Amino acid sequence: MIKIEPGAWQIMVDHAQSTFPDECCGVMLGTTEGDAKHVTTAIAVENAYKGKQEDRYEIRPEDLLAADKDARAQALDLIGIFHSHPDCDAYFSKTDLENSCPWYSFVVLSVKGGKFDHANSFRPNADQTIAEKEELIWPKS
Amino acid sequence: MAKVLIPTPLRQFAGKQDSVELEGSTVGEVLSALTTQFPDLKKQIFNDEGKLRSFVNVYLNDEDIRYLKKNETVVAAADTLSIVPSIAGGSTVAEPPVTTLSKDEILRYSRHLIMPEVGMDGQIKLKNAKVLLVGAGGLGAPLGLYLAAAGVGRIGIVDFDVVDFTNLQRQVIHGTKDVGRKKLDSAHDRMKDINPNVHIDRYDVALSSENALEIISSYDMVVDGTDNFPTRYLVNDACVILKKPNVYGSIFRFEGQATVFAYPGGPCYRCLYPEPPPPGLVPSCAEGGVLGILPGIIGLIQATEAVKLILGVGESLVGRLMLYDALAMKFRELKLRRNPECPVCDDHPTVTKLIDYQQFCGIPQHAPEPEFVEGDIMPAEVKAKLDRGDKFLLLDVREPHEYQICNIPSAKLIPLGDLPKRVNELDSSTEIIAHCKSGMRSAKAVDFLKQSGFKKVRNMKGGILAWSDQVDPSVPKY
Repeated sequence: MIKIEPGAWQIMVDHAQSTFPDECCGVMLGTTEGDAKHVTTAIAVENAYKGKQEDRYEIRPEDLLAADKDARAQALDLIGIFHSHPDCDAYFSKTDLENSCPWYSFVVLSVKGGKFDHANSFRPNADQTIAEKEELIWPKS
Repeated sequence: MAKVLIPTPLRQFAGKQDSVELEGSTVGEVLSALTTQFPDLKKQIFNDEGKLRSFVNVYLNDEDIRYLKKNETVVAAADTLSIVPSIAGGSTVAEPPVTTLSKDEILRYSRHLIMPEVGMDGQIKLKNAKVLLVGAGGLGAPLGLYLAAAGVGRIGIVDFDVVDFTNLQRQVIHGTKDVGRKKLDSAHDRMKDINPNVHIDRYDVALSSENALEIISSYDMVVDGTDNFPTRYLVNDACVILKKPNVYGSIFRFEGQATVFAYPGGPCYRCLYPEPPPPGLVPSCAEGGVLGILPGIIGLIQATEAVKLILGVGESLVGRLMLYDALAMKFRELKLRRNPECPVCDDHPTVTKLIDYQQFCGIPQHAPEPEFVEGDIMPAEVKAKLDRGDKFLLLDVREPHEYQICNIPSAKLIPLGDLPKRVNELDSSTEIIAHCKSGMRSAKAVDFLKQSGFKKVRNMKGGILAWSDQVDPSVPKY
């Protein structure tokens, strides 16, 4: 289960909507207790994909490293990655799966016509052959 | 001792520590010490061959070790090693087929859903379908509008043109406000407004032998809305090679044609027309004109065929060429058969990869801008002669209906085709300056008159279009 606090959620949705019709990406920071993850803040990261970003994203390892440092400085953990699917449902595509890593939760935000539509969270398995959906709780306004 | 920072999800394998101090003088030694101390970490970071897993990057302070000396990179006591995954993704490739429709979609498509020929299964097929439109012009306009409305999930559009005023008489996907915009963007916005569920890929290029296979390969079928022979042969050959149906349409003046080419077992464009016509023989819409409604009718026949192919219902136009005549308001149909000796779709084709289609259609690589030839006269000079009152005859060789659109008042109208029988109306002792719309027909008139013994004949370069640009902007262009 992954639960996202309103402040973090706002950052994620704002970022996904402002980069529309391109994909956005970012990291989620918070705390973990057993299987329960609690996202308290999020950091928008530049989409580093070189090409059409309408349906691709890439996070530079340097940016991920910097986010991890941020997390450590705030005594938080880097627990997940988020990205958007513009005008597409929030599924975990083959591209998502093959270029992910099994360590994190991956939250996908579907943005349709520039507005947030729905979201899902996924956990890729160790070999990145399938991703299991995990329960995602976000603040419904 | 070097410090290794452990990413959150891996801490469970490292005694719950967020960092570990380890011995070692190189990166390789430190990592080896890490996995010796915490064996469970090994398979998280290394693959079965003992190499770093594909998504794992190791940073020495702020530098990726791949750009240093990799495992041999020397580590000092104050250094920090970090393990950082590569992360990327995107909605693009190999989407899992959708199996459901949202509540909104069910409402939107309800008039489809209540017909058993479409139903939920059919509408889901439409949503999973990927169709490439070549051209966002006359045929592309109705195609884009209706395929988006019908719920085709992914529509690619190839076009590099910009909307201009002469397009608006038929290209109904673009509006007056879009003049000057890329057709791709204008079509995209209109289609998204009709149906935000549709994903639209924009290809701002001319389809060519270099990019056609790559672009087309991502789609289930191609709908050809092009207006020239090289692209038609290119689309045909690429579709045959990739085994993708090519939903074909073409229009001219009041008549149109439509069929489905390159369907497995069916004929292709080259079975019908093995060779292109000589360049210039078949006029384009820009030269011959087109009834604005015609591309609407032909484009929607193509859209219907595309939807039927996706749904797998009805009888498609495979093997039938539909001919439409708007003036007679008649549809006719010709049977098309595969040509057993077709160079592309035969079982032993001689054309197995894309060729140079400009050359195939006899079009020079870079059509040279016609030079200022002996006997040409610029519009401004003609204007000066008129103003001075010089004695000469300005001869307009266009058609009467063109003369009605715009003319230069002192000009005498004799259409090019009538010139031979009316040549006696001309006085060979007076200088003659011929003009037409853009200078091509009047050049032919000049040639004809010279052959008929006229000595003082000149051609106004660029025709009345150039006159409008260079002399009198109040003269409308068409």
